[in-house]
Amino acid sequence: MPQPRGRIASPGAFFDSDFSTIDSALAVSLLYGLQGKNECRLAIISMSRPNLAVAGFADTVQRFYHGPAATFAQLPPIGMSTNGAPGETPAAFVAPFQKKQADGTPVYKNQVRSVIDTGDPCTLIRNYLEAQADQTALFVLAGPATNLAAALAFPGLADLIAAKVKHLVVAGGAFPAGPPEAHVKADIAAAKKVFAEWPTPIVASGAEVGSALEFPGASIEKQFAEAMPDNPVADAYRAWQPMPYDAPSWAMTAALYAARPKEDYFTLSGPGMIDVDRDGRTSFTASEKGNHRYLIVDPAQKEKITLAYVELASAKPQAPRRFGPPVVPPPDVTTPPLKK
Amino acid sequence: MITRKALPRRTFLRGIGTAAIGLPFLDAMAPALRASTVAAPPIRMAFFYLPNGMIMDAWNPDYEGKLGELPRTLKALAPYKDDMLLLGNLTHNTGRALLDGAGDHGRCSGSYLTGVQVKKSLVDIRAGVSFDQLVAKEVGGQTRFPSLELGMDDARQAGDCDSGYSCAYTNNLAWRGETQPLPPTLNPRLLFERLFGAGQPMTPEERARQAKYRRSVLDFVTDDTHKLETALGPTDRRKLDEYLSAIREVERQIQQAESDNRQVDPHMEKPYGVPADFAEHFKLMSNMIAIAFQADLTRIVTFLVTHEGTSRPYRELEIPDGHHPLTHHRNQPELMEKVRRINEYHVQQFAGFVEKMKTSREGDRSLLDNSMIVYGAGLSDGNAHLHEDLPTLVVGRGGNYFKTGRRVLVRRETPMCNLFLTMMDRMGVRMERFGDSTGRLNGLDLG
Repeated sequence: MPQPRGRIASPGAFFDSDFSTIDSALAVSLLYGLQGKNECRLAIISMSRPNLAVAGFADTVQRFYHGPAATFAQLPPIGMSTNGAPGETPAAFVAPFQKKQADGTPVYKNQVRSVIDTGDPCTLIRNYLEAQADQTALFVLAGPATNLAAALAFPGLADLIAAKVKHLVVAGGAFPAGPPEAHVKADIAAAKKVFAEWPTPIVASGAEVGSALEFPGASIEKQFAEAMPDNPVADAYRAWQPMPYDAPSWAMTAALYAARPKEDYFTLSGPGMIDVDRDGRTSFTASEKGNHRYLIVDPAQKEKITLAYVELASAKPQAPRRFGPPVVPPPDVTTPPLKK
Repeated sequence: MITRKALPRRTFLRGIGTAAIGLPFLDAMAPALRASTVAAPPIRMAFFYLPNGMIMDAWNPDYEGKLGELPRTLKALAPYKDDMLLLGNLTHNTGRALLDGAGDHGRCSGSYLTGVQVKKSLVDIRAGVSFDQLVAKEVGGQTRFPSLELGMDDARQAGDCDSGYSCAYTNNLAWRGETQPLPPTLNPRLLFERLFGAGQPMTPEERARQAKYRRSVLDFVTDDTHKLETALGPTDRRKLDEYLSAIREVERQIQQAESDNRQVDPHMEKPYGVPADFAEHFKLMSNMIAIAFQADLTRIVTFLVTHEGTSRPYRELEIPDGHHPLTHHRNQPELMEKVRRINEYHVQQFAGFVEKMKTSREGDRSLLDNSMIVYGAGLSDGNAHLHEDLPTLVVGRGGNYFKTGRRVLVRRETPMCNLFLTMMDRMGVRMERFGDSTGRLNGLDLG
């Protein structure tokens, strides 16, 4: 399999979600913030349910961060599963399209009019994985495992995943034990398949992690607004529920750990195996030979995580850069601690 | 006479020397009494490959469904829009850099019909068997030539044609094996002699003898022609006459080109017999494609009109700049306009071929109805080297199969190889996967 010549590109990130909660959108912002620092490149966003309105929102977010078309850079479509039910369309993901500029024209344009404006998730994952160096790609699953299970069954893709992916971080389940979690319960068969067959290490961020680490809503009117007055994620956040409020950060925990596994944001369990029972309940069995781990909240790191959330998710869109070392900000521009 | 014996489909007019001229489909080949048992006419497929992408704002219409007013680049095809499928969103992922860096031109032509990412190398060339050759292997034995590979440009097979990619990738479309490209025939004279000689080019002595007496290849088959004419009805006689006239016209054009070349510039780089004029060259090559299809000499043609990275100027359009440099226009309007005019010019030449296919009758259909002619490119935006939404036009109904007259958009990132699988089906070759295909293209048929 070809490997990159010369300089190494930053790792490609693959984000799959059902976009049923606001933290999925915030996680996309966070990944773009990491992209701005050249710590990863958001390769593909895919969605595990056939909901055109939500796909349109995800596409708009992607276009917002991607900026005007750059030479030699392509904007992939949003991957969208065409199986299953479309599910609920959060009003907050439609609200940004109502926002108007001073001249009455819409601030954001929804360019997903039909299924042809989206891509098949497995084809997209295959196509964009082929462009990754071995053992570098980052997968974040923040929704039902529908697309990833399909990817494992797609001709040749399981081998490609084994070759290209560094790890999969799943926002889902409950650890070390707990009631069935919504993402797992939404497609139990897919979750069972992914935990049983995914060929790379898996790290799970259970529901208890994201619930304990809330995203500070106050940053929407401060850091987000200061960076960009119009940001579809910030506008969706405002519309999600009456402001001010803090939101659980399930998807953000997974995205943050996926890109920065060496930071001490979280405590990591020992190795083992995660299983899914027929009710959608996850369980963890410790084993030295296991390829799975789960994240544990370290209360001492909470502020550091919150700072990272805000700094990364509120960052101004940056033109994608293919090569170069990660950008480390000088200490004096670090975001000050937040006050609610 | 309903008891008359049918004329075999593969009848040739033979004569002295090397002449052997195939015949078009004649009514005499399908007598009325047995019409219901006569096999359906064969399906043909051809690829017209254009390099360096297109200016897509003049290629893509802003609508889906029934073709209405055609975009500027395609305007010359307006009389045939009911015979066209204009496909959008097809992608060749294997043409992308993936991990191989620069060289989009070399990759995109190498992968176009092979569906594989070609190896970046100048000497250790490696692609894949192109799908036309997979089809040729299965059905090519039914015709005199399993396939024809044609071109109009430089056919170098070695050297660096794009950032470390061998010229073998840019100068060939058809690949018989992973390391075996099939170089295109560029010279109309050589093609003519292959088609209407005994399958081989003439020796210099034979060619000189023919030239000395200014004789046509048709003169060598006069006896056979007369014999056949007496056995044909008036419709077939007219059809045969038109067909032989078309061959004679091509021959005359080749002789004219040879004569012009001697007079215009004895030092010109063009080989003897290759017209200096792009339109004339295109017309000759495409006329011979139509005749080869008409006479069922082959059912598979790949035509590399010009190759990726070509710097051919278009002085006839008062565009002295090279095509490839122009396509890196950096969005400068005046440069983009020149590329649009070149794109239009290419399509205008292609329209002449489509007309010829459309007016050639084959039973109760046209030759075009029984064909799938793909006109397309391995890049969409040549400035940005994009490999998605490739300009892809399918002309012809593939044997009353395609529901033409439409602009059809498929899901973004749908592999181009899905179209190839669908075309393979029409050619009678069933495969489950080809290249990076993920299935067949649905919704193209009459339903």
